[in-house]
Amino acid sequence: MVTFQAHDGPVYSMVSTDRHLLSAGDGEVKAWLWAEILKKGCKELWRRQPPYRTSLEVPEINALLLVPKENSLILAGGDCQLHTMDLETGTFTRALWGHTDYIHCLALRERSPEVLSGGEDGAVRLWDLRTAKEVQTIEVYKHEECSRPHNGRWIGCLATDSDWMVCGGGPALTLWHLRSSTPTTIFPMRAPQKHVTFYQDLILSAGQGRCVNQWQLSGELKAQVPGSSPGLLSLSLNQQPAAPECKVGSARGSGDPGRPGCVDRSVTTLLPLGPDSRRQQLQGGCLYQSGLPSFLPVLLTSSNTPTSISGV
Amino acid sequence: MSSESSKKRKPKVIRSDGAPAEGKRNRSDTEQEGKYYSEEAEVDLRDPGRDYELYKYTCQELQRLMAEIQDLKSRGGKDAAKQKVDAYHLQLQNLLYEVMHLQKEITKCLEFKSKHEEIDLVSLEEFYKEAPPDISKAEVTMGDPHQQTLARLDWELEQRKRLAEKYRECLSNKEKILKEIEVKKEYLSSLQPRLNSIMQASLPVQEYLFMPFDQAHKQYETARHLPPPLYVLFVQTTAYGQACDKTLSVAIEGSVDEAKALFKPPEDSQDDESDSDAEEEQTTKRRRPTLGVQLDDKRKEMLKRHPLSVMLDLKCKDDSVLHLTFYYLMNLNIMTVKAKVTTATELITPISAGDLLSPDSVLSCLYPGDHGKKTPNPANQYQFDKVGILTLRDYVLDLGHPYLWVQKLGGLHFPKEQPQHTVIADHSLSASHMETTMKLLKTRVQSRLALHKQFASLEHGIVPVTSDCQYLFPAKVVSRLVKWVTIAHEDYTELHFTKDIVEAGLAGDTNLYYMALVERGTAKLQAAVVLNPGYSSIPPIFQLCLNWKGEKTNNNDDNIRAMESEVNVCYKELCGPQPSHQLLTNQLQRLCVLLDVYLETESHDDSVEGPKEFPQEKMCLRLFRGPSRMKPFKYNHPQGFFSHR
Repeated sequence: MVTFQAHDGPVYSMVSTDRHLLSAGDGEVKAWLWAEILKKGCKELWRRQPPYRTSLEVPEINALLLVPKENSLILAGGDCQLHTMDLETGTFTRALWGHTDYIHCLALRERSPEVLSGGEDGAVRLWDLRTAKEVQTIEVYKHEECSRPHNGRWIGCLATDSDWMVCGGGPALTLWHLRSSTPTTIFPMRAPQKHVTFYQDLILSAGQGRCVNQWQLSGELKAQVPGSSPGLLSLSLNQQPAAPECKVGSARGSGDPGRPGCVDRSVTTLLPLGPDSRRQQLQGGCLYQSGLPSFLPVLLTSSNTPTSISGV
Repeated sequence: MSSESSKKRKPKVIRSDGAPAEGKRNRSDTEQEGKYYSEEAEVDLRDPGRDYELYKYTCQELQRLMAEIQDLKSRGGKDAAKQKVDAYHLQLQNLLYEVMHLQKEITKCLEFKSKHEEIDLVSLEEFYKEAPPDISKAEVTMGDPHQQTLARLDWELEQRKRLAEKYRECLSNKEKILKEIEVKKEYLSSLQPRLNSIMQASLPVQEYLFMPFDQAHKQYETARHLPPPLYVLFVQTTAYGQACDKTLSVAIEGSVDEAKALFKPPEDSQDDESDSDAEEEQTTKRRRPTLGVQLDDKRKEMLKRHPLSVMLDLKCKDDSVLHLTFYYLMNLNIMTVKAKVTTATELITPISAGDLLSPDSVLSCLYPGDHGKKTPNPANQYQFDKVGILTLRDYVLDLGHPYLWVQKLGGLHFPKEQPQHTVIADHSLSASHMETTMKLLKTRVQSRLALHKQFASLEHGIVPVTSDCQYLFPAKVVSRLVKWVTIAHEDYTELHFTKDIVEAGLAGDTNLYYMALVERGTAKLQAAVVLNPGYSSIPPIFQLCLNWKGEKTNNNDDNIRAMESEVNVCYKELCGPQPSHQLLTNQLQRLCVLLDVYLETESHDDSVEGPKEFPQEKMCLRLFRGPSRMKPFKYNHPQGFFSHR
């Protein structure tokens, strides 16, 4: 396991391309070469900061999204805007704003290049990348079936399958039909979910609680696979044909920069993906589920972030 | 008779004949046996009267003849010449005799050695140089050796007289000087008691000027009887006290006589043995001591302490004193210490502070891991096995704690692996640990006393925040500390929200455990606190459990985890001015502030009617941040708003 300090603050999201690993946390996005990561003393390739409006506080970047067609990266976070950055030139092309509170998550709708964003204000907004305008807004909390006022209205996780969308967080985990903007299935999960993704004909979700839940589209819980952490913040799938070596990256941000010797309790567990788990290699590396490392005050750092980086 | 006489005569006759007669011996024997002397044979033959007549006639003839000769002799023809010759002869003889006599006399005289030649006279040159003229009389003595010798002898006499005079004078001088010496000696010997009395009189002056030389001297005298580790400790602490730390005072306690008695000569002990043997016989006749009692005695013997002990008093700034008494266990070769804290004013002990200053635990874990319940000398284990002692822990209350730093101060270094044969006390080991240990002891006492005071206040529900730490907290804190109690180690490990700490091995049995309860409205926050004996260099650890709209712990609520982090991990901000005695109270105050923030920033539940239970009064930039929706727990001074870290 290789660990190194990537950011001064917590790391909130990571994405990976063929050759690069991009990580973002407290206001900056940094890029790392996969080939370099395993060597000692790895330095970032570049770092960029989107143009923020406020100067009092540096807003965090909660979500990163790669748009392969445009070769750009979308960042969204604390300043309630979506920034687009061109990966070749590094310039920030667009800033989409419409959210009233900070943005939690992003999802890409492949066919018509639209981006979905869910935020603290409880709304899921769809943006058209070509026109740079908001196309559709779904205020999840206003729908009675799925709203759970005692949890709040925030949208913590989003996943989309072009026509369908799954979102959850404060409100219950719900499957939506996008064109009609109606909730179709509500998944009976009490704990707020922090990450959700489509997989084959299943929906995988993880959040508070140890397990990764596998749902069928009808709303039935198919399986619950327990992990080791008390809570999970992000999931990723490894789909590759029997590769001898698999690079796993998981990053943990540290809230307290100067502290060495972090004890990492986040175990990367492999999900048994069903009887016919084909394994396809994703580009670059793959991110595994990670949880909140546990809190040991004297030794450790406060970690209130999602992902942890360690290369195997 | 005649036959006997003939037999006697026989050998005579035979000898005179000699050897040739031998052959005819038998014949001669027979012949002579029958014969007498021829004379006797003749006598037998002659007439005795005739013999007598013959004999008479012969004698008369003889007489006559003799008279004739006489006459012839007396009358001589040469009378006068002969007489002259005779006279001259006589004279000559007389003279010769005289001459001889005189010659003898002369030789005697010539051989006469006068005593004066035996005297070693000074040489002639010296004589003429030194002698005064009336003695030397040069003109006379030069020519005349006799006079010269006489003069020399005179001079010799003169000199000898003079020297004898001098000798007498010198003798008398010597006598005088001897007398003076006597007098002075007496004078000096009378001085000694006077000096002693002066020293006695100077004692009060010494005390007045704070120069207790006498006392120090006495201590050094007693120190000679200390066993080596205590001696090392004594020497090093006195040296340290004099050089670096005036608040340290060292004294030796105990009975010196007993210490001397430990080294009694063997004859005495033999006598004692014989006595005790006799006594023992008596007692065994009465009652045999049981095996248990014997074992007990053996144990007591093994754990015996040396009669002398070193007492160290550390005075702290606020006039509280830490009394340390160091003992030496002779058979085990380890040192132990008993501690006591006395304060300038009487302390009212709050209930939760019971263990803080107790002599048993006040010095526990001065260095991390040094709990003082096990003997540091590996060789002791074998000794214990012989007498059935399991561990030293049972006797620790009585004997004192054998901490590792105590051994180091006494210069005893026990290697960890194998028991060494003899571990001797080493000064350099003691000196290298002295300063750190003394400082640690002082900070320990002071932090415990500070805690003591703070606990008294905490039990009344007031978190005592000093004025120089007020800036860490906002002016208005609504949550209150309601309860502060001490809990047992087992109770702590059984709490459901402390599992992480227990698993991480941070909750040992040398720590102190407390439970605090903070309340605001309907919300109750329980905090379980682990206090390490090394407070305040090692911060206390808080584990939280909030009961408000359900039970929230660090397992199910990220914000609780964040609160714990604010209190536990960011403790450096809360240390306050050195020495950081304010850490615990600041942590508690921060906990109250965090609870306030938590409750006030909770997003409003639209479905429930009525206003929020806790209206937001804190100024916050953003209420939530990050994917885990963290609350703003960081307080910014002096602006007074809350933000995220």
